[in-house]
Amino acid sequence: MVKKVPIGPYHPILEEPEFFELHVDGERVIDIDITIGWSHRGIELLSEHKTWDQVPFLVERVCGICSASHPFAYVKAVDDLLGIEVPLRAQYIRVIVAELERIHSHLLWTGLAGHFIGYNTVFMWTWKYREPLLDVIEAITGNRNHYATYRVGGVRRDIPQEEIPNTLKMLDQLEKNNDMLTKAILDDPVIHARTKGIGVLPTDKCRLYGALGPTARAGGYNIDSRRDHPIDAYDKVDFNVIVCENGDVFDKAVVRQLENFESIKIIRQCLKQMEPGDICAEIHEIPPGEGIGVYEAPRGEVLHYVRSDGGNTPLRHKIRAPSFNNILTNEVSVPGSTIADAGLITAAVDPCYSCTERVGVVDRNDGGRWFLAEGDLIRLSQEKTEEIRKRFARGTEST
Amino acid sequence: MEREEVKQKISEKFGDRVRIAERSPKRVYVYAENDVWVDLAAFVFNDLDARFDTGAAVDDKDGVEVMFFFPFDAEHYYLTVKTFAKKPKPMLDSISNIIPGAKWIEREIFEMYEVTFRNHPDLRPVLRADTRPVDYYPAKREVKDEHETARKRDDGTERADEVAGKPLEGKNP
Repeated sequence: MVKKVPIGPYHPILEEPEFFELHVDGERVIDIDITIGWSHRGIELLSEHKTWDQVPFLVERVCGICSASHPFAYVKAVDDLLGIEVPLRAQYIRVIVAELERIHSHLLWTGLAGHFIGYNTVFMWTWKYREPLLDVIEAITGNRNHYATYRVGGVRRDIPQEEIPNTLKMLDQLEKNNDMLTKAILDDPVIHARTKGIGVLPTDKCRLYGALGPTARAGGYNIDSRRDHPIDAYDKVDFNVIVCENGDVFDKAVVRQLENFESIKIIRQCLKQMEPGDICAEIHEIPPGEGIGVYEAPRGEVLHYVRSDGGNTPLRHKIRAPSFNNILTNEVSVPGSTIADAGLITAAVDPCYSCTERVGVVDRNDGGRWFLAEGDLIRLSQEKTEEIRKRFARGTEST
Repeated sequence: MEREEVKQKISEKFGDRVRIAERSPKRVYVYAENDVWVDLAAFVFNDLDARFDTGAAVDDKDGVEVMFFFPFDAEHYYLTVKTFAKKPKPMLDSISNIIPGAKWIEREIFEMYEVTFRNHPDLRPVLRADTRPVDYYPAKREVKDEHETARKRDDGTERADEVAGKPLEGKNP
């Protein structure tokens, strides 16, 4: 008996608008129809009315979490159009701020995923560990989010020398905390049972659907634009690209947790290698032409395309956030799962809704429809975790 | 696959139906006629093993320039495949049946610029609010022209019309 189950109007984990219509047969999802666009704000068109120097302030508001990634990709697009190299110190500062953002974004996802499967301790830990990181970002840039750091030709402000010891101290503590958190997640048999083999996105589908970031790397699709299309200081630092092979929810979590260590490594190298110097090249005008800027945001590669007619504003500014590609992969990873897992799978791509959410369920047999509210989905997910815990306690399931 | 080899293979297969330009060692642009546009995209994705990234469109008075980005990750450069769909009814073949990841971006280009993609599996608007009129395409030049400020710069001069779809001085196809 096939039913349609609408989940929403808000995503159970991330509380932003998106709509999934699940076609189900009993508990089993057999098809999914995704509708995005609930928070379409016309930012690309707005950008055409901002001067080249105002656009970074606009695009860092595409998303509250990726407020370094979007301006980073934008300024790289303009740098590409101009054909310039920005001052070395500015290159390092751009990378430091972007990597600090990656760690706080990954910790945020891990906390929310923990809450969703009934691990509220994980939620509390990650929030606690993230806080000193945000303090450092505030000390460096002036804000916890929306850093206003990036500008065409360089950065808007320098990192004060006196902030570097504090930053290094925070990184040392964060590394220990992330290590403990990673081991706790990787060693927990209930988390294994709850997330392994769930929402699998195989390598060939990653390629066909243009999957990006941790969503792709979890499925063995070895792409990372920091390595493949290195910008600024990324070719001057040493780091590993974390790749798993199963493409399930567990591997997506593993990729994010291990990437935090790599980000810490990158920031330390940047702080060590960075020397005093200019932080911005002098740009007088933007000539006619076009430029492509890509940056590996926490959720995957961000692409910005700009076209200039020689005026003081972009003639065209295309923004492609990674969630635009990644959310479409739910067409592959959700069918075959249960309703209790669907919310977790759709959240495992770490979708950014301001860059794009809701869910409906349709019974294929009687055509009946109903909606699941946020509380219903979290309850379903947490009940499933509880069921697994009890099975472990009874000794009827092993790792 | 290295740039020179890629350029050579594209030239051999598509001859004068394509024009190739290189703006920098990291950016290659290939401009294709409408009739070979999908074949070229499929060739780059399937035979040359590029990754599919996304697409974009730029509107002009005479038509809409549509482009898809194909990064060659191992060689660190981007290849952009472009074509120009002429107005009044811009129409192109869809690549979504070859690359499913292109479904949403083609829907977006359709709803924003009125470019119809033939053989697309489901050409519904992807971003549009339910309340927006069906035949309203907000990014079209004609729509922008109705709003005076959208066509003028701060100093009051008109924006250039000659950018989309036309060769930029010496460099782009």
